[in-house]
Amino acid sequence: MSSDNVQDSQGSPEMFQQLGSITRQLHDALKELGYTDKLKGTVDQLPDAQSRLSYIARLTGEAADKVLNHVEGAKAEQAQITRRGRQLVDSISTVPGLSTAMPELLKWSNEVVQNSEKSDARLTEIMMAQDFHDLTGQVIARVVQLASTIEEQLLALLLQSAPCGVPGQDKVLELDGPVVAPEGRTDVVSDQAQVDDLLASLGF
Amino acid sequence: MSSPMKFLIVDDFSTMRRIVRNLLKEIGHADADEAEDGVIALAKLRNGTFNFVVSDINMPNMNGFQLLTEIKKDEALKHLPVLMVTAEARKEDIVMAAQGGAAGYIVKPFTKATLEDKLANIFKKLGL
Repeated sequence: MSSDNVQDSQGSPEMFQQLGSITRQLHDALKELGYTDKLKGTVDQLPDAQSRLSYIARLTGEAADKVLNHVEGAKAEQAQITRRGRQLVDSISTVPGLSTAMPELLKWSNEVVQNSEKSDARLTEIMMAQDFHDLTGQVIARVVQLASTIEEQLLALLLQSAPCGVPGQDKVLELDGPVVAPEGRTDVVSDQAQVDDLLASLGF
Repeated sequence: MSSPMKFLIVDDFSTMRRIVRNLLKEIGHADADEAEDGVIALAKLRNGTFNFVVSDINMPNMNGFQLLTEIKKDEALKHLPVLMVTAEARKEDIVMAAQGGAAGYIVKPFTKATLEDKLANIFKKLGL
């Protein structure tokens, strides 16, 4: 990489001087307008907002875990009911004349098996719905990170220091996380079918 | 499938690891271990015998892309199929995963049928 390219990617010293100057002007303007105290209040409130969000993330995680504990327990019980129901159907069939004399026995045993299988499928749906913890958790983590960044920058402004961050740092891989508003965006997919179409179009 | 397979589920959210583990069990793959990021996953892969990796992308310490790269450049591990299961829905991420050697890509939230379908496709493609 040439030195020109390096300077392009890092920004020129003049640019950072200008940014510093703008920051100081903004600070002075805020001070003159009497907004410094309000700004300080905002900075003070940000950690509180972060801890509230972290609290939500923790509680939703615990709730999801509780649901999963019960789902796993219920699934094991349903599996046993299904197994026993099938055994009952088989046993009734082996007793000569029983299914004719008491047809409801066979009917109900079959219903037990069918309903147990349906309940198991419902439990799977309940289990899958707990993925909200992962998805909302990622969004909350991003908001907490954003609040932290804003707090740092506001503090830097309040302290009238130079802009924070190291100029020219390599851009790290930035991941978007869950798409909260896919409408109108062409750079993201909104369902699995679009993922499959994209991969197929690339020959994968 | 001829022999039981051992899965490694990599995700920083324990809820998602449990969901994937339960789904795999329902599909018929009860043998699975878990890792909460790429670093732990790589250590487990290098010290154990696994046949398949199901990995998230957005994780601390080592993300899913970095894990995929490490797996594919390791002679002992590069044969492992890696299925990405992630909330990352940008087209460039999907393309990056495919070019990096991922065997499949599932976006969250997903269904049991989707996981079953993708696994079946991968097994068929790899002759497993």
